[in-house]
Amino acid sequence: MTITVEFYGLARSRVGAAVATVDTPTGSSDLGRVLRELAARYPGLAACCQGNGQLRAEYTANIGGRQFVRDPATPLRAGDALLILSADAGG
Amino acid sequence: MTQPPRQTPGGYHGRYLRVDVSDGQAEPAELPGDLLRRFLGGSGLGAYLLLREDVARSEPLSAATSLAFVFSPLVGSPLTTSAKFAVVGKSPLTGRINDALASSGFAIAGKRTGFDAIVVTGRAPRPSVLVIDDGQVRLEAAGRLWGLECDAAEAALRARMGAGFHAAVIGPAGERQVRYATISHDGRHAGRGGSGAVLGAKNLKAVVVGGTRLCAWADAAALAELGRELSRKSCGPATAKYRELGTAANLLAFNRLNALPTRNFQRGSFEGAARIAPETLAAARHKTRNSCAACTIGCEHIYELRPGREDIAGAAVRVEYENLFALGPLCGVEDADAVLAASRRCDQLGLDTISTGGTIALAMECVERGWLNAPWLRFGDGRALLQAIEQIGARRGLGRLLGEGSLRLARAVGHDALAVAPQVKGLELPGYEPRSLQMMALGLATGTRGADHNRSGAYEIDFSDRADRRHPAPEAASLAAGTEDQAALFDSLILCKFLRGVFTDVPAEFARMLRAVTGWDVAPDELRQTARRIVTAKKLFNIRAGWTPQEDTLPERFLNQPLPDDPEAVLTAERLAALVSAYNLARGWRPDGQLEEEHLRQLQLDDL
Repeated sequence: MTITVEFYGLARSRVGAAVATVDTPTGSSDLGRVLRELAARYPGLAACCQGNGQLRAEYTANIGGRQFVRDPATPLRAGDALLILSADAGG
Repeated sequence: MTQPPRQTPGGYHGRYLRVDVSDGQAEPAELPGDLLRRFLGGSGLGAYLLLREDVARSEPLSAATSLAFVFSPLVGSPLTTSAKFAVVGKSPLTGRINDALASSGFAIAGKRTGFDAIVVTGRAPRPSVLVIDDGQVRLEAAGRLWGLECDAAEAALRARMGAGFHAAVIGPAGERQVRYATISHDGRHAGRGGSGAVLGAKNLKAVVVGGTRLCAWADAAALAELGRELSRKSCGPATAKYRELGTAANLLAFNRLNALPTRNFQRGSFEGAARIAPETLAAARHKTRNSCAACTIGCEHIYELRPGREDIAGAAVRVEYENLFALGPLCGVEDADAVLAASRRCDQLGLDTISTGGTIALAMECVERGWLNAPWLRFGDGRALLQAIEQIGARRGLGRLLGEGSLRLARAVGHDALAVAPQVKGLELPGYEPRSLQMMALGLATGTRGADHNRSGAYEIDFSDRADRRHPAPEAASLAAGTEDQAALFDSLILCKFLRGVFTDVPAEFARMLRAVTGWDVAPDELRQTARRIVTAKKLFNIRAGWTPQEDTLPERFLNQPLPDDPEAVLTAERLAALVSAYNLARGWRPDGQLEEEHLRQLQLDDL
């Protein structure tokens, strides 16, 4: 299945791209697995993650523009859009 | 250099200065240690001083009202971002308390006058400059300063007064008492709520401060170590967003989440967002990065107005999320040249960009609906935006009405303008779409200075897994109150909120700083109580100024109607009312927001 990942703000700067896709061989995945895959592909993103597939406190993840998530075990479904952005929304 | 009396806590002078500019009379007044411990400084001490001066019952633009410039125990310390001051008064825009913060050398020089706060009352007989020089007070004629834009006025005062003096000035907007005029210092503004108009109504072009009076620190060695530790942390990943991109990095993320207010909050996303996002602008226009005095973060990103244009060569403007949103998507403008030029004109004239954009956006919608006869003022027209700003600054043409703010504009226009006026208590909404960020909606509705994103950090809850941002449960309201308490501590201690990510336990870490500065044996729980006291003191002010429970809501546009670009983003009036009630109870107030005498006694506010 394919997960589309959108990067915003610092995450985009770290990765050097606005969008990426992650293909998983099985029919299911989770946040932690996708982050580990991305961190391996983009060394800049590895700095945004902790070792256990969780984002550092300065970052947050959002599924489809709906719910914000942190738990690496959060399931992701085929076609989901995963947003990576700053946790700090202060303006 | 003189030292304060030994019994004064470290970090303080133990007194404030009250100046009546009607006759130039100045009178120092004591601030006992126990009182300073209850209110700290900045926003908290300012709220106390306003209650003591009975400002709540004064007219904001009258001679009888008072405006307080308040410093803090940390000013002048080695703690990074501590060079801040609060300007606290009654807002001419809202008629409620207004505590605006600004930064840089004025805070340090102001504290060196030998006072923890300067309270200005009266009205000078002619345009004047108030000078406080090492505790001595004088009024000088403003002369040719009157009429100058903010940067020119400050430069002229630097030349006149010499090194060691710093000025907080108003621009033409403040002189003409535009209700959202700012007080400006070193390119930064005490922006929201119209403090500039209050100073202008006092015939004061500027307050200039300087001196040699230092405060002692209770434990200088510990404070130095805390300063080194905080500086090191301030350069780490928790502040990287501000250092590398600035707050403007919010723009595209908010747009994606349908949280970017567009065309007077008609929509939550803007088709032109990418054209004005920093990701697009930075390559061609990013000029440099600045910081306030005594700051190691450096969050200010300066952009050129138009690269390659020799006629405005060197012209540049600080870009923040709020000025981008308010002068861009909120007005439907995607022309980067126009948005940056508009932002710079607001800075020069001394206008709050959020209120400027919100008021103009309302006017644009009123024109669109045929309620206002100004066919030149249309959504998306950058030249019209700039023209409107000039008229506001000059208080001519439509600017006479626009300078009154969106609430008064709506009342003057009639029809259903009030339903779409983007304000709470008269203060224009910042760049957070309430229907998409419903914890922030609560913060906007209940905030003591009106719709404000600095005194409530409830958007942090929306951007987390602690609540569903489009369907929050009333139980989440206590979390919103918690962000307010944290903000009250930051604004009273004073430290920059951009530092908040470096702390894991704000009350505990702030207690360590206060112990080193003052010598007080402060515990974290005491600071939690102090925060609640400060927020409640501001509420007490508002009640005395005429606040009613009906104010703690949002305009009709935001209630019961889904956001067009996100059908799930709907905030019912019932849900908002439930959140407000839960928030009030979480604060220890009555469900309707009124205060009980017993609660005031518990917070040691009963003597006010």
